[in-house]
Amino acid sequence: MALMILALFVTGMWAMILAVAAFLVIFIAPIDVYLFGGHGERLAISAVQAAIAVLVVIILVAGLSKLKRIYLHKKLQG
Amino acid sequence: MLDGTNLIIYAAAVSAISFCGVLLVTPAAIRLLVAKGRVVPDAHKPEMPQVPRPAGPVIMISIAAAEVVLFILTMNVAVFAILLTTVIAFFVGYIDDSRVMPGWFKPVALLAAALPLVLLDIYVGDVYGDSLNLIFGSAYIPLLYVPLIFVIIPITGNTINSIDVLNGVASGFLIIAMVPLLVSIAIFGSREVFLAALPLLFAAIAFYRYHKFPSRIFPGDSGTLLLGAMYGAIAIAGSSEIIGVIALLPAVMNSFLFLASVKRIVEHREVKARPTTLTNDFKIAATNDNTAPATLVRLIVVDKPLGEREIGYQIFKLALFTSLLAFVSIAIQYFVFSR
Repeated sequence: MALMILALFVTGMWAMILAVAAFLVIFIAPIDVYLFGGHGERLAISAVQAAIAVLVVIILVAGLSKLKRIYLHKKLQG
Repeated sequence: MLDGTNLIIYAAAVSAISFCGVLLVTPAAIRLLVAKGRVVPDAHKPEMPQVPRPAGPVIMISIAAAEVVLFILTMNVAVFAILLTTVIAFFVGYIDDSRVMPGWFKPVALLAAALPLVLLDIYVGDVYGDSLNLIFGSAYIPLLYVPLIFVIIPITGNTINSIDVLNGVASGFLIIAMVPLLVSIAIFGSREVFLAALPLLFAAIAFYRYHKFPSRIFPGDSGTLLLGAMYGAIAIAGSSEIIGVIALLPAVMNSFLFLASVKRIVEHREVKARPTTLTNDFKIAATNDNTAPATLVRLIVVDKPLGEREIGYQIFKLALFTSLLAFVSIAIQYFVFSR
């Protein structure tokens, strides 16, 4: 039973990684085009991409922490 | 580009060198380490048998021999970068094997292991691409890619290190995680990097023979850090970073749970509250201590105490499941890229 729940937890992590990957491909990678009209400074584009990517990763980690808290409260406290 | 015949010959050669190196030299290393008194107690067994440690030097020599041969045959700079990264990670681990270092040492020192990948790409080129494969497409991030490398190498090194808590788990887990990574490199990476990855897989297979329950030798920090850092370097050079992370998810989850619990970078031995305890019949059980860190093993035994071998198999089942998820990710990426 513990293994099945861990597998679900891992699947949740996987789904989050895929969601972040899709977000980065759809919105962050082409940011040069819709933010700088395709003529942005390379460093400026990278800085904006980095800032958004870091923010997304922080949200991902926060989401995982929430997932962890729900799971651990259920298992270890109960 | 290598042709099919050369690919098969080189693959057979480098696989055989690393496999035979570990298989044949490890018994001598066990005798030498025992004679020198470099042994540690195996805490989860009755009478706590003394087990020699570290096997890192044997694994390193065998992999290095294979990679040097491959580099001479191909003169590929990515192969050389992977080798240098592995060697630096090995030395970081060997220092930690030889003396007690603070918790920050391994992640910080592993930043140095990322340097060969970055510097050789800047000064020679062709170590890794400027785009990151993100399953649903690729992102052209030439500047962002450099800091990403300095994140990936310490993470992969430390995650394999942190999962090395029970007999055979680190080596067995790595063997399973290597399969989807190799498939991904074969599809999205280069043939040279695919060949460079084979010595890691075959060294791990040979080492598992001695590391599996009951262990006859432990890899030590030198062994686990070199295995993890090499895995990361291969994923980077093979354009398979995300697939590599997905295949490694149980180990990543273990590190994440631990860090989220203790909220700082610290060695396991420095944590006073224990996540698990040993029962009278030598099974591992979860403790009820709320201050103890959450770990993968603790969550596996939360319902009922299990034997060490059984927990190892549970971790392998979880690794097989994440490998399946990695294969699904490869299929999605292949479908997207071939459109």
